[in-house]
Amino acid sequence: MTQLQDVKGGTRAPLTPWKKKKKKEEVFPGVRSLNGRWGHLFVAPFMIMFLIFGLAPVIYSVYISFFRWDPLGGSEFSGLRNFSLLLADSDFWLAIRNTFSIWALSTFPQMLMAIGLAVILRNTRLKGKSFWRTILLVPNITSVIAITIVFGQLFGRDFGIINGILDFFGLNRHIDFIEGVIPSHIAIATMITWRWVGYNTLIFLASMLAIPDELFESASVDGATKWQQFRFVTLPQLKNTITFVLIVGTIGGLQVFAEPQQLAADGGSSKQFLTLTLFLYNQAFVNNKYGYAAAIGIMITFIVLIISTINFFITRKISNDGTR
Amino acid sequence: MRTTWKTKSAAALAATLAITAGVLTMPAPAAEPVTITIWTFGDVIQRNLVAEYKALHPEVSLSIKKSDLDPLNGTNMVTACTSKVGPDIVAVEVSYSGYWRSYPKCFQDLRQMKTSDANVAAGVEAGLSATDIKKNYLGWRWEHGVAYDDSVIGIPTDVGGLEVAYRVDLFKKAGLPTDRVAVGKLWPTWDAFIATGQKYLAKLSPADKKAGKGFIDNAGTIYAAIMNQGTEKYYKNDGTDTGKLIYDTNPQVKKAWDTTIKATDAGIGTRIGQYTSDWNIGMNKGTFATILAPAWMMDYIKAQAPDTSGKWDIAKLPVGGGNQGGTQLTIPSYAKNKQAAYDFLTWYLAPEQELKVFKTYGLFPAASVTYSDPALLNFKDPFFNNAPVGQIYASGVSQLKPIFEGKLQRAIDQAIGAGLGRVAAKKMDAKKSWAQVLTDLKKVVNN
Repeated sequence: MTQLQDVKGGTRAPLTPWKKKKKKEEVFPGVRSLNGRWGHLFVAPFMIMFLIFGLAPVIYSVYISFFRWDPLGGSEFSGLRNFSLLLADSDFWLAIRNTFSIWALSTFPQMLMAIGLAVILRNTRLKGKSFWRTILLVPNITSVIAITIVFGQLFGRDFGIINGILDFFGLNRHIDFIEGVIPSHIAIATMITWRWVGYNTLIFLASMLAIPDELFESASVDGATKWQQFRFVTLPQLKNTITFVLIVGTIGGLQVFAEPQQLAADGGSSKQFLTLTLFLYNQAFVNNKYGYAAAIGIMITFIVLIISTINFFITRKISNDGTR
Repeated sequence: MRTTWKTKSAAALAATLAITAGVLTMPAPAAEPVTITIWTFGDVIQRNLVAEYKALHPEVSLSIKKSDLDPLNGTNMVTACTSKVGPDIVAVEVSYSGYWRSYPKCFQDLRQMKTSDANVAAGVEAGLSATDIKKNYLGWRWEHGVAYDDSVIGIPTDVGGLEVAYRVDLFKKAGLPTDRVAVGKLWPTWDAFIATGQKYLAKLSPADKKAGKGFIDNAGTIYAAIMNQGTEKYYKNDGTDTGKLIYDTNPQVKKAWDTTIKATDAGIGTRIGQYTSDWNIGMNKGTFATILAPAWMMDYIKAQAPDTSGKWDIAKLPVGGGNQGGTQLTIPSYAKNKQAAYDFLTWYLAPEQELKVFKTYGLFPAASVTYSDPALLNFKDPFFNNAPVGQIYASGVSQLKPIFEGKLQRAIDQAIGAGLGRVAAKKMDAKKSWAQVLTDLKKVVNN
């Protein structure tokens, strides 16, 4: 008897919750086709905004890149003319050079500094941890324009603080941080670094804190010094984070606009710090060549696609290494 | 007509009510409330005058949105005109007038507007169109607000003017005359100006030279000054709407370029960019002895270098007559409250108001009828060694001629400015840099 009852109960038991569960799932009872799409409603606000403000302008700019486009006057179809002119335009290649130079000058020093700062902040003996972590984000929420104005004063040729300090040490060089190619790139890269180093520090810190203590313990049992622990435990564990920071940095690097624009709207007298986005902006809104500017936008998209593909393969390789 | 009737009946009603109630105070006539939206930049719309207008018209509220000049006259206005949604009044700076006069469809033709009787008490007659008030303004300055199809799209607020602001103390130290008339006589031509600069440089101590001191803040500013003294810039008025591009053949361009290069090579400029922190500091430190200054810059100098008060003076520009900057107010074709906007505009830009703005804020009136007004002629500025600035700028701006402006003027100015910058920074020699300017401009015109 007891056995039978058990069997009965056993067969019944899964039935009841199954029925209940099904009822719970049915948001629109009887309308089966709607239930699976409940999630679509939740993503709708984003999707609608994205379609209107993201995808539609992209498609529209592809369209106008085939025209000599004047939003206020007549526009004429010009086929691939904008693209062939662009590839022959030395300013375009100059802008690519400048963009990547500024990107390299800002990304790599920034990464080293961020990892270094994260190691310091990870120290258990450090006092006022949350204070330090909070102020690291202050540069990130400061307006770019304000940053540029302040840094513009630091980098002034005649009365800037940096040249003042160089002067004090007898290096009477009066570096022109606007006219020089490398000096202007350094000035812009410094502004970007200042703004983003704290943000990246926090990302590195978070992933450092996620490294299990056991790894460090066993390393120190094996007699590893602090440096060796960092080199052989911390760094390998940060691989994925480094890739992430690199990707985000690259996307940001291709969008550098406000800093050079504030330094000199035309990108310098010999376009020494004309970046891709500034080039696009000036073609559209100073020279009123909207079709040409749209073509630049499409070329930037291609560059991003190429870099993303490279990033994708690197990331895949790294994560494969991790599982091995 | 309708307003008159309404006002009258409202007044009658109010009077009846007042008598009935036994109270003698009369409530304001019940006019329809209206909000005028204004897009502007800098100090074009002065707060005090806005308050004055609100006191005159309690039913009018002014919603003022300030932006930086480039986004305002560039992106914002293009977007507004394309979408036909936007403000009732927009301020357009003269560097953009060449572009916007090519698109009259974006603006209300002010010849077709008539002032209502709203501001009769404040001195603006009823029934005035833009054609009727044209005579009050400087001729060449008025042309900045005339589109290529002759419709009037803007009325000038102020005129920049351009004279030489110089440091009396530094001139004295260098053994140059200090009296403003004598100083003006030092440079009847631009070549004489450069020669004076060289004389000044010769008197500088080696320490001053090492500290980078110079005669003028930036020799590049000479270019625009000479361009405005001519009768043609980059376009020839050949009877077509767009005009004909002559930037590569106009002798005035060549003259302005060559003279600026000569000044640059003579080393009279400090190469400090205007409106940079170096410029502000240099102004205080006496790093340069002269600035080519439009009238509106006087306020900037006062604010940035208050300690140099009384050390400055104003002398006339070489050759005579100059301009840099100035703004006109326009009513877009898509404006919702055109009549109210036009009534505000005609009051705000009436000679009386422009004179008030000049006395308080230094923006020089474009209303030339004020130039014979004793209030303007006797106006002296203690900061500038009691120079009769009203008189000096009035005679300067009266000497200029109208110039035909075209769509690409601003882009051309930028390319040439960059060319001069390359020479000043010693990155290229003048010949190479000019060739580069021509290549750049070919792209601007053709691409």
